[in-house]
Order: sequence, then C-alpha cells, then structure tokens
Amino acid sequence: MTWLPYLSYISVLVLVVGIFAKVIKYLRMPIHLRWELYPIPHEKKDGSYFEEVDWWKKPRKKHYLNQIIFMAQEILFIRALYHHNRKMWYASFPFHFGLYLVIGWLALLVGGALLKIFWVASGLAETLLAVAVVVGVTGMILGIIGCVGLLIIRATSSDLHGYTAPVDYFNILFIFAVLGSGIIAWVSADPRFSIVQEYIRRLITFSAATTTSKTIAWHIALFSLFLIYLPFTHMTHFFMKYFMWDKVRFEDEPNFRGSDMEGKIAKALTYTQNWSAPHIQTGKKWSETASKGVE
Amino acid sequence: MKKNKLTLKDMSTASGQLVELKQEEFMKLPNPYDTPEAQPPLKSLSDEVREKFECDLDGFMAIKIIRPKSREEEERLVNKFLDGLRKLLSKENNWTFFMPLMLSLEYCAKCQTCSDACPIYVSSGKNEVYRPTFRSEALRSIVDKYIRKKGSLYLKMTGNEIELNWKMVARLAELAYRCTLCRRCAQTCPIGVDNGLITHELRKLFSQELGIAPEEIHAKGSVQHLQKGSSTGMIKQAFADTLEFLEDDIEEKIGRRITMPIDKKGAEILLIHNAGEYLSWPENPSAFAIIFDAAGVDYTLSSEIVGYDAVNYGLWYDDFQLARVALKHAQIAKDLGVKKIVVGECGHAHKAISVIADRILIGDLNIPRESCIPILEDIVVNEKIKLDPRKNNFPVTLHDPCNMVRLMGIVEPQRRILRKIAPRFREMEPHGVENYCCGGGSGFAIMPSLNFPDWRSGVSARMKFKQILDAFQDVIDPSIKKMVCAPCSNCKGAIRDLLAYYNAWEKTGIAYTGLVEFIVNAMVDVKEPYIEWPEF
Repeated sequence: MTWLPYLSYISVLVLVVGIFAKVIKYLRMPIHLRWELYPIPHEKKDGSYFEEVDWWKKPRKKHYLNQIIFMAQEILFIRALYHHNRKMWYASFPFHFGLYLVIGWLALLVGGALLKIFWVASGLAETLLAVAVVVGVTGMILGIIGCVGLLIIRATSSDLHGYTAPVDYFNILFIFAVLGSGIIAWVSADPRFSIVQEYIRRLITFSAATTTSKTIAWHIALFSLFLIYLPFTHMTHFFMKYFMWDKVRFEDEPNFRGSDMEGKIAKALTYTQNWSAPHIQTGKKWSETASKGVE
Repeated sequence: MKKNKLTLKDMSTASGQLVELKQEEFMKLPNPYDTPEAQPPLKSLSDEVREKFECDLDGFMAIKIIRPKSREEEERLVNKFLDGLRKLLSKENNWTFFMPLMLSLEYCAKCQTCSDACPIYVSSGKNEVYRPTFRSEALRSIVDKYIRKKGSLYLKMTGNEIELNWKMVARLAELAYRCTLCRRCAQTCPIGVDNGLITHELRKLFSQELGIAPEEIHAKGSVQHLQKGSSTGMIKQAFADTLEFLEDDIEEKIGRRITMPIDKKGAEILLIHNAGEYLSWPENPSAFAIIFDAAGVDYTLSSEIVGYDAVNYGLWYDDFQLARVALKHAQIAKDLGVKKIVVGECGHAHKAISVIADRILIGDLNIPRESCIPILEDIVVNEKIKLDPRKNNFPVTLHDPCNMVRLMGIVEPQRRILRKIAPRFREMEPHGVENYCCGGGSGFAIMPSLNFPDWRSGVSARMKFKQILDAFQDVIDPSIKKMVCAPCSNCKGAIRDLLAYYNAWEKTGIAYTGLVEFIVNAMVDVKEPYIEWPEF
C-alpha cells in the first residue's frame, strides 16, 4: 500500500489549502452594513449600548469573556439546538461532540509522535497514547451513535425528510464509515493506536509510512478521503461560524468619523453598480446613486 | 391546487393557486376566540383581480404584478430575474449585504430548527409554503443551477433540480412578502443562517432590478417620501398646519400652550417622528412636546421635506432608497447644526438610521443618532418631571418592536419606564429579544390593499394576538379596560387593525397606545386623563 501516504499527504494539503481559500475568500469581501442580532454576548445582558443616552460619548465595555463562554457552549454543546430543537440535539450533540473528541484523538496522536521524534523514550508520549485510546474510542462511538440518530431523524421526520438531499445522507454515511472503520481497526488490529501513531510519525518525518493491516489502511484511506472532501462542503461551518457569528450576528461595532471603518465604507461607496430598475441610475458609483435621489 | 405535501418543484410546476389556507388548521387562539365562529372569515380575491394579477401563491396579494401577456414577456422577466440574481451575488452591486448573504446561502444544514421560531409558519398551522427555509431553498436551488451552473449529478445529489420559469419567479416575488423580517428564525439557528436576510435580499432583487415592490412601500412610500416630503403624502405646508393644530389640541387638553420648535438652528436634538403619527395618532407627537417641554429638553423638529418623516421604507426592500432617505435625514441634521438625531416611536426608523445607515453615513454626515427611549427613561426614572403612577392604574402589557429590541438591543429602558408609571404592568410571553413580531413588520402594517390585511390579521399577526390575549387572561372581561403599549408606529398600526379585525375592544376591552402617552397620562401637571379609550 505505497499509495497510502501519498493519499494522506494530499488530504492534508487539500484540507489546509481548502480552508485557507475559504477564509481568504471571506476575509477579502467588502465591509457590509450592520445586521446584528441580539442578544450579543459581549454586550450587557440582552441589551446594547443603544440603551444609553449619548452612547457614543461613553467608553465601550465589551465583555469578551462572556462571548467566549457563549461560543464555547454553542460549539461544544450545540446550545441553540438544545434550546430550540431538542429532538435533533439528541443526535446532533453526540455526533458533534464525538467529532471533537476524534479531533482531540488525532491531536494526541500527532503530539505523541512529535514527542517521539524530538524527545526519545518519552514516558509522556506513552501517556498521551493511553489518553488517546480513551478519547478516540469514546469519540468514535459517540460519533457513530450520532450518525445513526441523524440518519433516523432525517429519514423519518416529516419536517426534515423533504429537505434532506441525497448528499446529506451521503455526508452522514461517509462520516459513519470513517468512524466505523476506526473502531474496526482499533478492535481488530491496533488496540493501543500505536500502529496509527507510528504511521503518523513516519508521515511527519517523511519516512516510508505504511501499514500491513488492511483494516488500518482502510481507515486511514477513508479518513484521508474525507479530509479531501470536507472543504468543498457546507460542513466547513465548523470554522465559518467565526464569520457568521463574529462578523455578522455579533458585529455591532459603530462607525466613527476618521476611523479605519470609515475608510472601508468610503471605498465600498465607490463601487459601480449596474442595477437596472427605473428608479436607479445604472452604471454610476454607489454613492452617486444614493445621493442623487429619485428622478 | 396542491393536495399533497408541497415541494420546491411545485413552485414552478403546479398550476393555479399553489396553496389554500384553511382557517381550521390555524393555530388556536385563547378565550374568547377559541371557537371557529369567533374567527372572522378570510376574504377571497375577485375573479377580475385573479385574471389581471399574479396571485397564484396562497390566494392573497401583497404586490400587484400584472400577468405577462405572452411567453416572450415571461422569458424576458425570468432573464431579468437572473440578471438581478447575478448582481445580488456580486460584491460591487451588493457590497451592502454580500458577506451575510453568501454565508446564509452556503451554510444551511437544513435542520429546520428555525421553523418553529417563525410566527407565520406556526400560526398558519405549519403551512409548508411559509416555512422559513422554503423560499431560501428555492433561491439556493436557482443559484446552483442557473448562476453557478452546477452539473446534473451535483444538482441531483443536492436536490436542487428545480426549473426556473415565470410561475416560480412570480410566486417567489409574492413569497418575499410573507415574512416580516423579524429574524426570530435567525436567532435560533445553530449555525447562524438568516432566512430573514435571504428574504430581504430577494425583495431587493425584485425592486432594484425588476422594479417590483408593493406600491405602498415604493411608489406611495419611499418615492413619495423623497419627492413630496413624507410617505404619508404630507407636504411641507401641511406639516406646518398640522403642528399648529397639535399646539391648539395640547392647549385644549392640558390648559396651556406649548410651542413645538421648528428648524431651530443649533438645537441639541433633531427629533424626527414617523409622520404617520401626525395623521393617525397626533397625541403621540403632542405627548413628546409636553414631556420635552416639561423636562426642558433642547430640541427641534424639521420642516424640510423628508426631515419631518422618520420612516425609511428602503430598509425593507431597497438599499438605494434606504441610503437616499438616510442621507437626507443626516443632511438636514447637519444643516440645522444639531448635536444628535433622536428618533420618535418608530421601530424601523430606529434601526434604519441608527444601525443600517451607520455604514453609509461618513464624514460630516456621520451625526450621532439615538433612540428616544433612553432620553424618556432618563426623564422618568430620574424624576425630571412629576409623575403619579396611580393615574395609570389599569392592566398594561408591552409589545416589543422587533427593530428596536431584537435588532437593536433596546430592551430594558422602556420596561423601567413602565414599571415606574404603570403599577399593573405585566409582560407578554415570550418578551424582550425573544418577542414575536406585531405581524405588521417589514411594511405589512402599511399595506392595506385587496385582501392582504386579512392575511396580516389572520396569519402574520395571529401570534401577537395570542400573546396579548394570554397576557390579559386574568382580566379578559371587556368591562376591565386594559392597554397594550406599543412604542412603534407601524406596530401600533398593525395592532390597531388586529384589534379591529377581531372586534377586540368590544369583546375583551383591550386597546393600544404608544409609550409617551402613558408618561403624559401620569404627569401630575396634566389634570385631565391624557389617554383616551375607545368608546363602546
């Protein structure tokens, strides 16, 4: 299976480039009008600075810790689903939390491999490996339970069935296959995940990474293919949440005269628009169209 | 008519009216509206109207789109729709909402968590066509197939195989006006997708590219506002006459004359009211005049065209109309040399000038803007005027205007005022940032044509009516007079029509008013009751 490490390298490359490209795409988008939605956790409870007379004269207090706590609850425990869609949460929470643990498992394996590379005969590496077994297996089992739950809910709920496309089932089944193959590999070939870690160590050091176990090879192959697939799907919402929440929903930064923001707005106002309804003078700069009025 | 469960494909394939609303399926209302006989029937459109206009969505009509006369005309309009969609997805044409729109189009997990948050979907008995994701999914499908030109395998896998034709476009146009943009759905989304935004953008596409918008919002709304001075049609001279009338009226009510300052250069505040108040609820701007006079607030009104009407209907459907009105407001404030603009009791005007226009007004047009609510709180809570809460000794509940509360975060000051001056104040549930829309949001309150008001009071405002009734269940007897406080002109309009539609004053003794009316009613110096109750 000499192709396996190449697949692994490609998967990491595609994942990194894919994520990078998406982030860059959004970072390069022009400033947009405010579209915040309350409650905003860095503001006071439920309210905003608009509750105060002469708010612009007062120092802004942003409670960053509240926002971090809010987002941690949202990401780790799928808070919104818990409050507004409990039935789905019973499947979605183990699914997502399982995936987080699998990411943690991978991090522990990589960490252990790095220790072995740079710190020979480390007892810490062995400890990390032992923790990785608990974290990884728990994550995979939770993820599998979540996959099964999501499949059942999507297939049987009258609310969801009509809006679940083949690709949605495919995505869940794909993750199910990745996690399931991981459990099979653990049970049948690699109870301490030492073989997988060795594979990772060899990948990092550009040694001849391979494995003689077909079950492990299948798991690595499926995992790699999933990493290649991931950036092209809406599943990247796990990091795009930064834009959706921080840059839109919680974005209540006011525009002050002479600020950097004002500069960005001034630039956006120079864009040429070509909307063609009769009340819009097509082909003019945005600012000219807005200041001219209806003719 | 579609008999089985509606699918997106039906938008382009089903003939005739897509869905028919059945009142027996609507969300149940509490006592005394818990029987079928208590529900006013929904009016149908006449055959003449059906023949002339596109009304094949649900049998109601918000926009009067004349049916195309030929296949060629239909194709031209479909192509124009696609042109508009391309512009919506380009940063130069749509920098204003490009990032939020792209995010909401690309990351929906279709979990339907948003559905139960939508008062229209729930009130209608969960009619599929009103599901918040229904129109969003339709738009996503069109984008994938006709703009991004994805292959057939991709479309099959993503379920985006719908056909775009005139039926679909006309139904989407109407469907864009079956959401009040309250954004309650977005509040519940675990990812951050905003179906309200997608609706907003769809409305923009129709207005900015095809010139399609409800005439009350565009031709008789923002265009009239910019050309004549007010969306009400009130011209400059009429405004001056109205103020004179208000001053006479105030004198009659409180026994002394108050002059309402106009075009006072260098005043601290430019106060702008929704001009609808002057015509429909003159007691509201009068109450502001009485309170500001008593508290010694240095303010002025403007008699410049646009300057005496705070509304900004562009917020709901057209970025250019929004910017034009906002720029005009700012220019007037600059010319007067005021220190800040304060918006009266009008929710959408609050949001338009304070939040949305914040990233349009630059340089010396970036004049500080704030809500009237904190100033009123300062006056009431810090006892800058003498108040006697016993004068408001009747049950009161508070409606939270979405634009002011969920979309601006002004939650507590109005409550602190009411707690101070209305001893029998009680909350609706849910309230604050989780409130329900009055049902008249995003322009619905000012769209009285054909049978749309029936849809508004019967469906989109149904949840609000339920909340109001629930809040007063312990005092529901019509002999006990009670009041809904709605500190927003459009909400008041929707609630006025809602209460009339259900004959609520006679059946339950529920009336409505704004916030400042409560304050003046509690003023020690105002001897006669300021709040006027309807007559039986």
